[in-house]
Amino acid sequence: MLTIEHLTKHYKGSGKGVTDLSLHIAPGDVYAFIGHNGAGKTTTLKCVAGILDFDGGTILVDGINLRENPIACKRQFAYIPDNPDIYEYLTGIQYLNFIADVFAVGAGERQERIKKYADEFEITASLGDLVSTYSHGMKQKLALISALVHRPKLLILDEPFVGLDPKAAVILKNVMHRICEEGGAIFFSTHVLDVAEKLCNRVAIIKDGTLIASGEMEEIVKAGQSLEDIFMEVVEDAGE
Amino acid sequence: MRENENVLKKPENREKSRGTGQSETMEQFRAMARLELCNIFGLNVLRHTKDPKAKRKSSGLFCLYVFLLAVTAFYVGGLVYGLVFLGMDEVVFAYLIAISSVIIFVFGVLKAGSVLFRREGYDMACALPVPTAAVVFARILRMYVENLGFSLVVLLPGTIVYAWNVRPGAAFYLALWLGMLSVPMIPMAGAVLAGVLVTGASSRMRHKSLVAAGLSILLVLGIFWLTSRMSALEGALDLEMLKNVSAFVFMMLGRLYAPAVWLGKAVVYGDVLHCLMCVGLSLAIFAVVSAGVCACFHPICRNLYGGFARHDYKVEELGGLKGKSVLVSLCCREFRRYFASSIYVANTIIGPIMGCVISGMLLFFGMDSLEAYIPFPIDSGSLAPFLLGGVFCMMTATSTSISMEGKNWWIVKSLPLSAKHILDAKILMNLLLVLPFYLAAEVMLFLAVRPGIMEALWTLLVPAVTIVFSCVYGITVNLHFPVLNWESEVSVVKQSASAVLGGIGGFILAILCLLAAMVVPKEYADVLRLGLCVVLILVTAVLYKGNNRNAMAWE
Repeated sequence: MLTIEHLTKHYKGSGKGVTDLSLHIAPGDVYAFIGHNGAGKTTTLKCVAGILDFDGGTILVDGINLRENPIACKRQFAYIPDNPDIYEYLTGIQYLNFIADVFAVGAGERQERIKKYADEFEITASLGDLVSTYSHGMKQKLALISALVHRPKLLILDEPFVGLDPKAAVILKNVMHRICEEGGAIFFSTHVLDVAEKLCNRVAIIKDGTLIASGEMEEIVKAGQSLEDIFMEVVEDAGE
Repeated sequence: MRENENVLKKPENREKSRGTGQSETMEQFRAMARLELCNIFGLNVLRHTKDPKAKRKSSGLFCLYVFLLAVTAFYVGGLVYGLVFLGMDEVVFAYLIAISSVIIFVFGVLKAGSVLFRREGYDMACALPVPTAAVVFARILRMYVENLGFSLVVLLPGTIVYAWNVRPGAAFYLALWLGMLSVPMIPMAGAVLAGVLVTGASSRMRHKSLVAAGLSILLVLGIFWLTSRMSALEGALDLEMLKNVSAFVFMMLGRLYAPAVWLGKAVVYGDVLHCLMCVGLSLAIFAVVSAGVCACFHPICRNLYGGFARHDYKVEELGGLKGKSVLVSLCCREFRRYFASSIYVANTIIGPIMGCVISGMLLFFGMDSLEAYIPFPIDSGSLAPFLLGGVFCMMTATSTSISMEGKNWWIVKSLPLSAKHILDAKILMNLLLVLPFYLAAEVMLFLAVRPGIMEALWTLLVPAVTIVFSCVYGITVNLHFPVLNWESEVSVVKQSASAVLGGIGGFILAILCLLAAMVVPKEYADVLRLGLCVVLILVTAVLYKGNNRNAMAWE
C-alpha cells in the first residue's frame, strides 16, 4: 500500500530532517511510527502526504509514484496533521461537502457517510456552525470525518489521538480496524506507546531522522517487555 | 526560545522592580511593548531565521522597500525644492504634514480595527497578569511606530532639501524634532476611532466581516466625497487671496487638516512654544482615543471571538447536499474565504467601486467632472476605458489569495488537486467578483459617452482585458512572494511584497496605457488600443502558463 524507499529530506539551514528512510506498509497494516520530539515523524508523514518536497528517495502509494503522479497518489489516501487547522470561514458541513466534491463522492454516499460518522463522533448538531467556533477536539473529529468520507485506502495520521475524548478515541480505533479489515492501511505517528502496542501490528522507531528499528510488533516487543521498554532500549542503544 | 529571552530580557531588573506596584505595572507595559515591537516589519524572524531562502526573500522585499523609499524621497525632495524655488518655503511643512496625515488616516481607517482587535495573542494576553491598558498600549504603540516611520519617510527628505536651501536656525530643528513625533498622532487617533466604531458596530452582527468591510468602504468613500467637496469650494474663493499664493495654500490645507497648518507654521518659524502646544493637543487627543479603546477593548474582542454557534444542525438537512465540480467547489470556497475577511474585502474591492464611481461621475456630472481631478489635460471620453481598466486592477484580490491560505495550506496540498485547478479557482473568483462592478461601470460609461461602434468595442474590451491581466498577474506575484506563516491578515493584505507589487503593477499599467493613449495622435487611436489589447492578452497568456508551470511543485 505504501512503500518508502531511501527517503531523504533535509531542511536548509538546520540540516535536520530524515535520512535514507525505508518502510513498507502492506494492505491490512496498522503501522505505528514512534520517536522523540523532532525525530522526523511529521517530516516523513508530510513527505508522504505530498506537503513537503523531498531531496531523495521514492514514495509509492498503491504502486503509484508520488513524484511522477501526485494527484493519482493523493486520491488513494487521506492525511490529518497533528493540529488540524481547518478553514475557519466554512461551516463543518461546508468543509465536508468541499472534500466530498474534491474526491467526487456521490450525493447519496456523502450523505450516508457524513451522517454515519458525524453521529458516531457526536458532532452532527455542530455541522451547521462555523469551524472557528469548534474546540480542538471537534476540529480533530471533523478532520477525521473528512478523511473517512471518501473511503481512502491509506490513512496517514499525525498524532490522531491528541485532543480526542475517550469515546471518540475508541471509535477511531474501531474505524482504523475496519479500514484494515477492508484491505486498507493505517500509518500514524504517536507518543502514546500503550495505544501503539495494542492497536498496531507493525511499528517503526525513528531517531534523529534515521530509522533505528522496524518490523512486526510481535517480533519487536518480546515476551515480558512493553513497547515503552523496547523504545527506551533501542533509542539509548542508537545514541551510544 | 531565544526570541522569548530577548523579549523578556533583564529578569534581574524585573525582580528589583517588584517592590512597588507602580513599577511592576510599568515593567508589564514595557514587556508587552517589547513583545509587540520585536517582530515589527518581520525583523525578528529575519534576524533569527536559518532558512537562506527566507533570508533571500526578505532581502528582496527590503530592496523593494528601499526602492519605494527612494522614489518617495525623490518626489518629496522635488516638491519641496519647487515650493522653496517659488518662494513658498513657509508652506513646506504644513504641506508635508498634511500629505502624511491624510495618507496615515486613509490607510489607518482600513486597518485599525484589524490591528487593534486582532485575535493573535489575545487569549495569551488575557491569561497574563497584565492590565488591559498594557495590551492596548502595545498594539497602539506598534501602529504609532509604523506610522511614525511613514511620516519620517515624507518629512526627512523634505527637511534635508529645505534645510539645504533655507538654512534655518537652531529653533527650527528643535521645533521640528518635537513636531515630527506628534505628526502621526491625530490622524492615527481619527483612524483608530473610525476603526473602533466600525469594528464595534459589526462585532455584534453575525456577518461581522462583511458588515465591517462595507462600513470601511463607506467610510473611505465618504472621505473621498468630503475632499472632493472641499476642492469644489475652490470656485468660491476670494480672488484677492490668489495674489498671495502661500495664504491660499494655507487656507486650503487648513480646510483639509488644520493641525497641519498650525504645526507646519510653528516648525518653519521655529516657534517652540506653539509647537509644544500642537504636540500637547495631539497627545491629548491621542490619549483620549487610546483610553476609549481600552474601555471597549474586551467587549469588542469578546463579541468578535466569542463565536456564534447555534448547535442546531439537523440530519435531515443532509438531504440538501449537492455535488459540485471541483472547480465550482474550489471557487465557492474562495468566495467564502474572501468574504470572511473584512480587511481583505475592504482593500481589494475599493478598485472596482472606484471604477463605478468614475463612471457614475461621468454619467451624472458630465464628462468634464473627471478632468477636474486629473492634473493634466485629458479627453476623458477616449481615455475613460484606460482609466477604468487601471482603477479596476488596483489591489487585485489574487495578489494575496495564495498567502491568505495561511495555516490551511496543508489542506489543498494534501488533496488530489492540480495546481491549475487551485489557481483557476482563484482567478475565476476574482473575475466573478469584479463582473457586476464591471457591468455597472460599463453601462454608466456607455450612457455617459454614447460611443460609436468602434468606441463601444474598445470601451468594453480595454477594461476587460486589463482586469483579466491583473488577475493573472496577481497570481504570478503571489507565487513568487507567498507569505503563509503570518500572524495577522493585515501583514498579508497591506504589508506583504505581493500586495505592494500587485498594487503597483496595476497602477503602472494604468499610467503606461494612459500615457500611450495621450501621446499617440487620435487617428491612430484604434491601432493603439488594438496593440495594447493584443500585448496584454499575450502577456496574460504567458504569465498564465508560467504560473501553472511554477505551481506544479505543489503537486
